[in-house]
Amino acid sequence: MHTFPRPQSQRLYVDREAVQDAQCPECKGSTIRAYRVLSEGGWWHVTKCQDCLNSLERSPASPLGSFVPLGSTV
Amino acid sequence: MIGVDVGGTFTDVVAIRNGQVEVTKVPSSRVDPAGSVIEGARRLGVEGSAVFNHASTMGLNAVLERRLPKVAFLTTEGFRDVLDRGSVHRPLDAQTDPAWRRTFGDAAKPLVPRYLRRGIVERKTAEGGTLIPLDEAQARHELGILGRCGVEGVAICLINAYVDDEHELRLRELVREVLGNEVQVSISSATSPLAKEYERASTTVIDVIMKLLFTGYATEINSDLVGLGFTGQLNFADCAANLLPWEEALERPFRILFAGPAAGTVSSGHLGAAIGRPNLLCADVGGTSTDVSIIVGGAPFVQNTFEIEHDLIINALSTEVSSVGAGGGSLVTVASSGGILVGPGSAGAEPGPACYGRGGTQPTVTDAALLIGILDGEGFAGGAIALDRGAAERAFESLDSPVSFDERVRTAYRLAAAHMAEEILNVAVRHGVDIRDFSLMAYGAAGGMLLPSVLDLLPLREIIIPPHPGLFSALGLLSADQVYYESESAYVVFSGTSAAEIDAVYSVMEERLRERLGEAANGLPVRRSFDGRLVGQSWETPFVQIPDGPITSESMTQVVETFHDAYELRNGNRFDSFPVEGVTYRVELVVPAEKVAYTPAGQVEAFAAVPEGTLTLRYLFDEPVSAEWFHRKNLSPGATVAGPAVIREELSTTFVASGQLARVGLCGEILITSGSEE
Repeated sequence: MHTFPRPQSQRLYVDREAVQDAQCPECKGSTIRAYRVLSEGGWWHVTKCQDCLNSLERSPASPLGSFVPLGSTV
Repeated sequence: MIGVDVGGTFTDVVAIRNGQVEVTKVPSSRVDPAGSVIEGARRLGVEGSAVFNHASTMGLNAVLERRLPKVAFLTTEGFRDVLDRGSVHRPLDAQTDPAWRRTFGDAAKPLVPRYLRRGIVERKTAEGGTLIPLDEAQARHELGILGRCGVEGVAICLINAYVDDEHELRLRELVREVLGNEVQVSISSATSPLAKEYERASTTVIDVIMKLLFTGYATEINSDLVGLGFTGQLNFADCAANLLPWEEALERPFRILFAGPAAGTVSSGHLGAAIGRPNLLCADVGGTSTDVSIIVGGAPFVQNTFEIEHDLIINALSTEVSSVGAGGGSLVTVASSGGILVGPGSAGAEPGPACYGRGGTQPTVTDAALLIGILDGEGFAGGAIALDRGAAERAFESLDSPVSFDERVRTAYRLAAAHMAEEILNVAVRHGVDIRDFSLMAYGAAGGMLLPSVLDLLPLREIIIPPHPGLFSALGLLSADQVYYESESAYVVFSGTSAAEIDAVYSVMEERLRERLGEAANGLPVRRSFDGRLVGQSWETPFVQIPDGPITSESMTQVVETFHDAYELRNGNRFDSFPVEGVTYRVELVVPAEKVAYTPAGQVEAFAAVPEGTLTLRYLFDEPVSAEWFHRKNLSPGATVAGPAVIREELSTTFVASGQLARVGLCGEILITSGSEE
């Protein structure tokens, strides 16, 4: 049984939130976005420069976002 | 002749003038590495020297510790993670470990961080044609980003560039145009034009890193040497301890990444040839580790690639050296069971063993040797360091173990020797040799102190302590030739019809090599070899020899036969009916260089040496034992010493164990055998 409706958009994507007043320490770019990525070691919250793709911040993220299954805490 | 071996702790400088060896040790400096070399050169004097041969592990240490300049990596779009995945091989003990990570992967310590690895829109085919033209506008955009990031070097490795270098050459021009001439560039088709993109990529990245580390360093050394009055040739040793003129070395400096241990092996081979010992196991005992290598029939075992870390592969010819974490400075610790352990941790140069009195509180193998009585507390390192026996005792007493004090000291010494014996046996087994036919060349300042005890554990023919064991690796730099080589890749199945193609590959490389050397190459033969495989295999059998003369359909039959012989020798199986495919082709030109001479004395009768005095050996036996001690400079060829005995020299000490017999050979080497008679 499907819990979620079929997506309406042609492709699935993660929204990238603009980070204000930030500058990339590497290339001095100002287009900084925060989003989640699936990489080695699981899901990560990243804040990345969109010009050079340098990570300004990178911290482990829960695979289900803010939802924490009861079983995972037992 | 002057040889300099720059180690992590000391820079060893050796000069040979009129057959006399002069030596000096200078502390190595991380801040000013060239300064230590020049200080050593100044002490010994360089005027009138024909060569100044240099080896160092500076490049390797920088890579291992990731003290690296900021470099970028450009590759065909879609392939930038080739540096992260490596060759996808896992070590055996990581096969079932989900937490294992490559040391150079993005999850650990990459050589080039992912944001500096950029994809370029282009694609060459495996045959050499253009599938996707180079998108120069996109390349300029990517280079602009790298420029803003302040990269100091750029490594370029495009897919199939070893067949067709057009796009790499153009991309190099674009790097110069956008980033300027100050940024160093290495392209894979010039650095290592061989098949297999990962090895080509990692080699190119290391090459540009080495350019950044060595260009200023080598230029500074050369100009400072000239300032000291040096008019000879400055050479750098490569990973197989072959010598390269410094300008030549800087063209592809990945070859000089790691030179010290190979120099020891070359030194062993040179002395072995002088004393009639073609089969040698070589062990260099340092402060932290023991490096073991093998020489069969007078030739060191050379491999066509070199692993810096697991799967971090460099396409450099290198002497095979394996290491074990046991040396003079290895820490003695207590296992959870209460037993005594030795290594792999080390006290290093600072603080060093407890007995150095520089603040070290943990016991080491050197402390054990001092307490046993092998080391001389006053005369250590030529009297430069006074050893503190009390500090060594306190360090062993501090161990939280139920084992008695005597047993702690005895076990520390014996366990260190056992670790070394295990690695020596591993090397012998891996190469399928019978160690009863092999002598062990024992060098490094702590080699003579520890390795003769290996004779009680392994049925080796003998132990050889060379003259100047503490500086033997540096002497290897004065025992090597200049070797120039070229290599190229092409997948060709060997048959009568492919002879012309193979011949053309060799002719082009040989011509290029002779052109590079000019008149120096006149009259010298070029050695040819190839790395080949049975069709269908994914790995090669390296260094199969190619006969001299033009390659014809008739000689191809002989080449294929030679491959099957080499394959059988290496793998124990033979598959004559399988076709052979060539992968990498190599030409090598050896320019003989002046070497250190080991001149044998005339035949002499054996005689018992006269001791300088007696000392007491403690802890090794149930009761203290009296032993004689000798000074090596007073032992002439033919002198014999029965163990237990200690032979001292300025920078090293040799311990002849109980039941062993030491005899001074005709070239001044000490030959130690089991039993009182040979």
